[in-house]
Amino acid sequence: MTAQDTKERLLDVKGLTVEIDGRRGPAVVVDGIDLHVTKGETLGVVGESGCGKSLTMLSLMRLLPNKIKVTSGSADFDGQDLQKMSARALRKVRGGEIGFVFQDPMTSLNPVMRVGDQICEPLLYHRGMSRQDARKRAVELLRLVGIPGPEERLNAYPHELSGGMRQRVMIAIGLACDPKLLIADEPTTALDVTIQAQIVDLVKQLRSKLGMSVVWITHDLALIAGLADRVVVLYAGTVVEDAPVDALFANPSHPYTRGLLASIPTLSDAPAARLSSIGGTPPEPGRRPPGCPFAPRCPLAMDICRRDVPKLEPISSEGSHRAACFAVQKALKAA
Amino acid sequence: MTLVETNPAVGEEDRPVNLWRDAWHRLKRNKLAIFGLGIVVLLAFVAIFGPYLTPHDFLSQDLQARNQAPSLAHLFGTDDLGRDVFSRVVYGTRTAFLVAIVVTAIALLIGTTLGAVAGFFGDPYDRVIMWLTDMTMSVPNLLLVVVINASLKTPIARWMETQYMATLNPFYRETIWIDFFLVFGSMAMISWPPYARLVRAQVLSIRSRPYITAAMALGLSNRIIMMRYVVPNALGPLIVSVSAGLGTAMVLESAFSFLGVGVNPPTPSWGNMISDGLRVWQHHPHLLAAPAAVLGLASVAFSFLGDGLNDALNPRGTK
Repeated sequence: MTAQDTKERLLDVKGLTVEIDGRRGPAVVVDGIDLHVTKGETLGVVGESGCGKSLTMLSLMRLLPNKIKVTSGSADFDGQDLQKMSARALRKVRGGEIGFVFQDPMTSLNPVMRVGDQICEPLLYHRGMSRQDARKRAVELLRLVGIPGPEERLNAYPHELSGGMRQRVMIAIGLACDPKLLIADEPTTALDVTIQAQIVDLVKQLRSKLGMSVVWITHDLALIAGLADRVVVLYAGTVVEDAPVDALFANPSHPYTRGLLASIPTLSDAPAARLSSIGGTPPEPGRRPPGCPFAPRCPLAMDICRRDVPKLEPISSEGSHRAACFAVQKALKAA
Repeated sequence: MTLVETNPAVGEEDRPVNLWRDAWHRLKRNKLAIFGLGIVVLLAFVAIFGPYLTPHDFLSQDLQARNQAPSLAHLFGTDDLGRDVFSRVVYGTRTAFLVAIVVTAIALLIGTTLGAVAGFFGDPYDRVIMWLTDMTMSVPNLLLVVVINASLKTPIARWMETQYMATLNPFYRETIWIDFFLVFGSMAMISWPPYARLVRAQVLSIRSRPYITAAMALGLSNRIIMMRYVVPNALGPLIVSVSAGLGTAMVLESAFSFLGVGVNPPTPSWGNMISDGLRVWQHHPHLLAAPAAVLGLASVAFSFLGDGLNDALNPRGTK
């Protein structure tokens, strides 16, 4: 990795480990994740439910609930380690430089506060704007995210808006302070497909307009194909594959990624064909097998997979495509 | 909606965050709540300005005119000592409000503090506080009050007496303070657990809601999150319960006075008037009817107001 590389990185997470303090003692949920986002890039983070996608993002901002803790690792954002920052400095970053869009638009807005005031909140707090300026900016933001009649919507309560509208409001709040990085945690999961498409288009437009980086967490690979520049595949709290989006879809390497891609139904499938799926379920935190966490479900599993943990290693000549799999690495050496 | 479109009012636009103003608009549309509010305001007015409103002194006796039926001179008639019942009911309003407000305030203070600590900090505070709450709630209310009164009244009276002997300060002669102290104290002792439970439950449920995490992700300070996210969301149920609690405290005070463990004569309280009236109600029904009707009205008014506030403070409620 050259110095140039590191310099461009807006977010650089190294060895992030998150543990949950359960009844059966501490269990590792996120296991030494490395990931980075360069400036202006859209990173897709994909994986099944419960593989640690959301927890990783929450832990970056130290927003974890009580019994879940980051036990090691660092997360440099713009040259500062978010994990070591003082609470006060961190509050400036939250909402100011990193915008968050949450999964559930139905419950992530304060029900007793008008949406206009909620959009103004970060502006008043981070930008020190006057209330009037903040309201003007809020109107602009609502227009930006495509809400018709923004002036009157400012005075609406969240329950008076539809799910799609609320999600747009959430995005408007996330974008309020022109963040350098927008972290969107499955922002379209609760929405129907047409709204989903609108929101994806919106984020693409905004990204090119504002030049921000985006981390988009989802379990929907089809969505990622049209949105991301690079994709990180998570499984059981580890990164199993990291590749530019085209390379990932053209040449999925890790058996888990292949399984995920194979499970997307296509129009060319036979009408009565069974949907393809990966047998079994991800291991529970605290009950992960020794060796590769995917080994019990993996069609290519070898003895070494059940013994040692594979490292994330380059599998393409220029090194941008990486996978953590003994079988892939072996096949590569053989070739 | 169309109105706003045709007239994008400038005034609308820069109006500040105001949950209360919105709640007031919704409350105004609720006739029962406004009725309740009207009665409550009237009673409060009477309680404050009572002494200026009454035609007679509440203590002055007219033994020539005992047990008179209601007339223009005595709106609610007179009692067995010839005292004006109307004046006594008016003065009783003062007692009722004093007891209700002081008792609710003390109970609210204890309950909110304990409930918030339990909900926010969790175990072991939670466990200990909830034990205490359950314990208090498991003792029959009246029994507890009677025990407190019976066991503390004499020692305190004796102590006051010795203090008076030692200092000759007339303050120690005012035995009415003992009444108030014991009544307030013992009623607060039995009234706080519901508030503690309510606040604990509210804090617990709000603390884990996604919009609190979202507010934290916006970098808002804990103070702002408490004041604008946690408190307004917890307030609705609390206000409702306070409003109902005020009415309950009035009824409770009357019940205690009725049993002779409340405010003692000659201080008029609706409860001791009801208690006195009950003995002669076959012959002089107005002696029972007047204070009982006012007590009932006050209690109903507070419940209506509480219900109305509940709907008004919840923007999701039906319009």
